[in-house]
Amino acid sequence: MILATLVAAASVPTHAQDTVKIGAPLELSGRFVAYGAQGKRGIEMALAAHGDMAAGKKIEVLYRDVQSNNQVALTAFTDLVQQEKVNFVVGPIASGIVAASVPAWREGKPLWLVPGSSSTQLEDAMKGETLFFHTYPWAYNYHENAAAAIAQAAGTGKKVVIVYSDGGYGREQLPWAKEFYTKAGFNVVATELVREGAADLNPVLQRLRQLRPDVLVGIVQTTDGIQLAKQIQVAGLKVPYLVGTAYPQLKEWADAVGPEAADKWIGITTYLPGMTRPADPNLPKLFPAMSDWETAFRARYHREPEFLDVTSYTTAMLLLVAIDQAGTTDKNAVARKLASLDIMTMLGSSKFHPTAGGAVHQAFSKMIVFQRQGDKFVTVYPNDVANGKLMPRQ
Amino acid sequence: MSMLLQCLVDSILLGGLYSLMAVGLSLGFGVTRIINFAYGEFIMLGAYGAFFCSSLAGIDPLIALPAVAIGVALFAAIVFEFSLRRVLRAPAINQILLLFGVGLVIQNLAAILWTGDARSVETPYSLTAREFGDINVPDGRIVTFLVATVLIAALLWWLHRTELGRAIRAVAQNRDAAVLMGINVMRMYLLSFMLNAALGAATGAMASFLLTVTPFMGFPMLIKSFAIVVLGGLGSIPGTLAGAFLLAFAETAVAYYVPDGIGWAEGVAFAVLLGVLIFRPRGILGQAVEVA
Repeated sequence: MILATLVAAASVPTHAQDTVKIGAPLELSGRFVAYGAQGKRGIEMALAAHGDMAAGKKIEVLYRDVQSNNQVALTAFTDLVQQEKVNFVVGPIASGIVAASVPAWREGKPLWLVPGSSSTQLEDAMKGETLFFHTYPWAYNYHENAAAAIAQAAGTGKKVVIVYSDGGYGREQLPWAKEFYTKAGFNVVATELVREGAADLNPVLQRLRQLRPDVLVGIVQTTDGIQLAKQIQVAGLKVPYLVGTAYPQLKEWADAVGPEAADKWIGITTYLPGMTRPADPNLPKLFPAMSDWETAFRARYHREPEFLDVTSYTTAMLLLVAIDQAGTTDKNAVARKLASLDIMTMLGSSKFHPTAGGAVHQAFSKMIVFQRQGDKFVTVYPNDVANGKLMPRQ
Repeated sequence: MSMLLQCLVDSILLGGLYSLMAVGLSLGFGVTRIINFAYGEFIMLGAYGAFFCSSLAGIDPLIALPAVAIGVALFAAIVFEFSLRRVLRAPAINQILLLFGVGLVIQNLAAILWTGDARSVETPYSLTAREFGDINVPDGRIVTFLVATVLIAALLWWLHRTELGRAIRAVAQNRDAAVLMGINVMRMYLLSFMLNAALGAATGAMASFLLTVTPFMGFPMLIKSFAIVVLGGLGSIPGTLAGAFLLAFAETAVAYYVPDGIGWAEGVAFAVLLGVLIFRPRGILGQAVEVA
């Protein structure tokens, strides 16, 4: 009996040492389920491409459904850090959920990769943290790029109105939008708050009609982006340039609003279906050319990839490669390796860099500005990847 | 001046949607004295029903509406038979928790089956509008207003002119007297619950082209319906209609005339509700309810 107990006790740490545990707290249900589903698909695909061994140990991904709920996220993250003792975490994705996970992360400080959250509050909270790696642009990257693209096409001095949601997403981005559109030479003549999930946005649109704006920037989440685009179409609002922060690239958004209402919307993203990126010359199987990866994704999931599928795949794969190359599961050694990687990924160079806001490790902050022209995505900015020109909406 | 007229037009059209949305909840409460906390999910099921009829078979939500309403009503009958019937005599909190749980199950099943993707139906009238000078009148909202008017008129006619309708009203007015008159009360409860679900589904069918369809769309609509029903007077259909239009006017006026008003609109609406609860707790047209 005593012998059996001793054997069992001895076998637990041995088994744990043979495994690389990666926590994946994701929004697998609730209002951000679309984000979490993409996150999970990306991680699954990365594992399938990489194989289930890293640094000579079996990889075990511990998925946790954070239910798109801050409290559940905190509990799930705490469980991963304190009970499961994971050294590595990928996710969650939605800004509020990531922010809610920060206190739990601080309890054990695993190496944390976040393939989402554009919130600069997170950037501020994680200032100076060497075990935090952010693989998604920050809020200001959206407006910096969009304002530059429109200024280049339409000239400066135009009137800009900003419609923003009353949740954290809209409120946080508003100052950045005002700052970068003003810096780019535009006059921000109105900012209009809309309630998330509002049934009627017409009052806002009728007020804006009187200002005759040249540019309307809609800083809202996808569901409100659908309502906004549809009601702009119904109201017959004649605004030459319509900009959406997080939704015009989504099939979900385009299907919901229809081709007429979606036409000429301008979006900012890191990934567009059909864009070209070469494979990494040294790791072409793990970081293939975009078209090859898209083919593999379609074959596996029978659907088109979305931007977070790509981001999550790339993020998870970078972690796996860093563990492999570090040859250990020590989080500090893997963090140092991750910080030194320079791989050509589907999102561009993986080279992490510090940000002006204080984040130590940031990758993939270069964004592309595109416009929906009919059923095509036309990349309009930056010029080195542009394949067409920005067209005003008639 | 044109802004004022536009505000009035928007208010009236929004009032049509709110009336249809809240009248089912009001009817259900009037008869069973149970607030259906799964009502938002019946709206959501109606919206998905209309969406799938449109996307899979090309059927317009208006054409699909009767089938969708009947389908959701039958589903509600199952919910009634297998869950609600067992707690009809239980304390109100048990009924509320049960229906809230049923709503959560339906919501999560919808998210699993249909994903959390946002959807909307495109119809020939959902993205068009009529212009009268500076006044913009969206066709989709006119259609919704007309459908709401027809359905509510039909409901009122049915309640007042048919034997079943009168039986339902009798149960709503005095359950014990209705029993003595030989009315099958349990059958009336079932019927009113199904009607409640059917009206919710009809609202969902309209919402499918006006709003964004997601598994989570129901709860905010339940809360707003509840506010309207309390505002108008629990169980009173005329009161519910008054409450719906009052809420629509309050929200729209604030949205038009207060800076950043659309963000405040719902807050103001609930402030109105709070005022009514303090100064006229029975609602605009509600009757006093004696609590034993």
